[in-house]
Amino acid sequence: MPGPIKQLNRIRRTTLHGGALFRAGWRSGLSLVILLQCLLISTTAVVPAGQQPPAPPQTGQPEDLRRQIGTIIVTPGNGPSLAVADFQARNAGLDQPVGVFNTVLWNDVRFSGVANLVGKSLYPRTRLADPASLRFEEWGEDPVKADYLAFGSLIDATNGQGYLYDVKTRQGVLTAQLSGTEREMAHQFADQIVKLLTGQDGIAQSKIAYIANREVQMMDYDGFGSRSFTRDNSINLFPGFSPDGKRLAYVSYRSGFPNVIVRGEDGLIIGATRFNATTTSPSIGPDGRIVFSSSKDGNGMDLYLASEDCSGARRLTSTRKSVNISPRWNPRTGQEIAFISDRGGNPQIYLIGADGSNERPFLTLGGQMDSPAWSPDGRFIAFTWDGGGGAFNIHLADVASGQVLKLTREGRNESPTWSPDSRHLAFQSNRTGRWEVWAMHIDGSEQRQLTRNGGRSPTWGR
Amino acid sequence: MPDKLFRTISVSAMFIMVLLVSACAPPVAKIKVSRTEVKPGDPVTVSWETKNAKKIEVNGESAEKIGAKTVTPKQTTTYEVVARRGSKEARDKAAVTVVVVKPPMPTITLRAEPGAIDLGRTTVLRWEATNASTVTISGLGEVAASGQREVSPRVSTTYTGTAIGEGGNATASTRVTVTEPPPPPAPEKPKPSPEPPIADQFRAQVRPVFFDYNKSDILPEGREVLTKIATWLNLERNRTIVFRVEGYCDPRGTSEYNLGLGDRRSRAVKDFLVSLGVDGSRIEVVSFGNEKATGTEEGAASAPPSWAFDRRAELIYVRGGDRP
Repeated sequence: MPGPIKQLNRIRRTTLHGGALFRAGWRSGLSLVILLQCLLISTTAVVPAGQQPPAPPQTGQPEDLRRQIGTIIVTPGNGPSLAVADFQARNAGLDQPVGVFNTVLWNDVRFSGVANLVGKSLYPRTRLADPASLRFEEWGEDPVKADYLAFGSLIDATNGQGYLYDVKTRQGVLTAQLSGTEREMAHQFADQIVKLLTGQDGIAQSKIAYIANREVQMMDYDGFGSRSFTRDNSINLFPGFSPDGKRLAYVSYRSGFPNVIVRGEDGLIIGATRFNATTTSPSIGPDGRIVFSSSKDGNGMDLYLASEDCSGARRLTSTRKSVNISPRWNPRTGQEIAFISDRGGNPQIYLIGADGSNERPFLTLGGQMDSPAWSPDGRFIAFTWDGGGGAFNIHLADVASGQVLKLTREGRNESPTWSPDSRHLAFQSNRTGRWEVWAMHIDGSEQRQLTRNGGRSPTWGR
Repeated sequence: MPDKLFRTISVSAMFIMVLLVSACAPPVAKIKVSRTEVKPGDPVTVSWETKNAKKIEVNGESAEKIGAKTVTPKQTTTYEVVARRGSKEARDKAAVTVVVVKPPMPTITLRAEPGAIDLGRTTVLRWEATNASTVTISGLGEVAASGQREVSPRVSTTYTGTAIGEGGNATASTRVTVTEPPPPPAPEKPKPSPEPPIADQFRAQVRPVFFDYNKSDILPEGREVLTKIATWLNLERNRTIVFRVEGYCDPRGTSEYNLGLGDRRSRAVKDFLVSLGVDGSRIEVVSFGNEKATGTEEGAASAPPSWAFDRRAELIYVRGGDRP
């Protein structure tokens, strides 16, 4: 037993950088043993009877990969426990905003996957609006037993005050002055809690762009506040945010041909391709350069690398008559590109250097693969794969080992995109009968529907 | 003489007895501290004195009979001297209470005035932090403890100021709402000039070409269709016609890859027409992937909606063919 525990500790240390609070206290040998057992149980329980696990990975076992992911997404027993008490209204007439605030804050913290949320039914009945009325024993002992406690109040509909306390040391670790709509205030506070517990930026204030009604739409990360980003009156496809979230590239037919358009966050056009051919699948790298696929030179679909305004396109691949498509940068290095090629028959995942060097297969397991999305931390590639004849589902590949995990099972699931914190994926699924945008943790848990009126090709911004 | 001998013996015996008594005298130990109450990091002198001891320890470490050392206790500490001689020992204790003064929580306020601006305008962020060693504002980076800064965000932005101090963290957020000017009215689309009659003739001639699933090979039926069209296109009067080959896919594959597959289908049609003598510069190629697919099952190409119909290439008139 000591061996694996040590290994887990090492993995955790390398995954969860920063976050002094995160490292403190809760990690005891006993909880690690429990965690290990939970993981063993969950790995065996995940594959339903009668269904084959994903095709044999090239190296290692999927259990290793699931265990790695188990250190990223907090599951019962392997992280700090957090109680989030309902915010109180300081003044009359705030029932409705406070209700929305509490729901949004709860969903944000729960979906963040950084702590075990203690269920509200266990909380003391006393209202908690400010530190003066905080009785630590009510929160630190049975049945709540929280390591951390978040609470606060709304002063009016656009101002609030939040607190985070370390229950064990009885120390306040954060006071947060909140401002905005009730949804914005809840997102702000959730992100600040995540920052305190992990040292990493949260995602509750991030945006997701997607396609609906042939235009690029923009919404909050939880599916609210959807609005049109483009009004091109054409067919728009495959939007992709730059890693800093300040630019958006997509495909538009408004020139008569599918061409790439790049816009700033304010909607102004930064550049566009003007080819009389099929040009598609733009991906913006960390330095602003754009990789896309085009048949502009008449040899089939090849990858091209262009400046941030789409000028100076230089060809990277040259495999005659095969489709080289769906390129995505490694956003961490800005040096490597994953893409899809059917040069060997079926569309499979390949890798190539941004200078055109070291072109090689990455995953060739048969079947049809598409939309390889590199995680912001560079560790994983999420993609859609039909497993060699079944329905398309979101899978996760560990870049270092090539191990593969299947994350979805209902309906068709395609076009994965990573949250900036590398803990979540958004994707399109038709499990409700039509394409909608969904999101989940990268272990496949907490799958939730974001759009209600149709949505495809999500891209997660900042 | 015996008297003298007796005296010598008795003196010696007494001397030995004194020695024995003094050897059996119990050890004595005393310890004191210069201050009994300090703050963390304050120096304290611990001094001790022992008698009749062979082995002396201060808090477990061996020490001189008489000594002193300066310490800086971080928490309340008891210092103990133990003086031992054989099985006898003496102890003494002195405590230093360390009083931890909890550093105050930092505070921060952040306001934007005005909180709502039109696109292109500026607003002023004002902030003030106390008890903080570091103050950062999202988008601005590290800033002074208090100050103001003019900003001109292009989109509605939440600025969050974070004050980090020994006493904890404090944050303050303020939202700047950016109002976009109403979009300019969409330019009126120029009315398409009436198509020349040749466009209708073109449409009367062409037929779609169908493909097998996930394939872009021209099937025998398609070869027949394209051979007829090529003959018509190669007629002298039609040689200036420019047209477009549009490739389509059924929705079973993924849409991103299908755009490439549709391109390869339209390119296969172009290549075949070129092999029949049609000038390649007259042929544009474009893919719609599965964006216009309508089928929900295989069905027949002749009876849309069907996947069989979705997998096709179509020829679209663009310009030319009209005699001057």
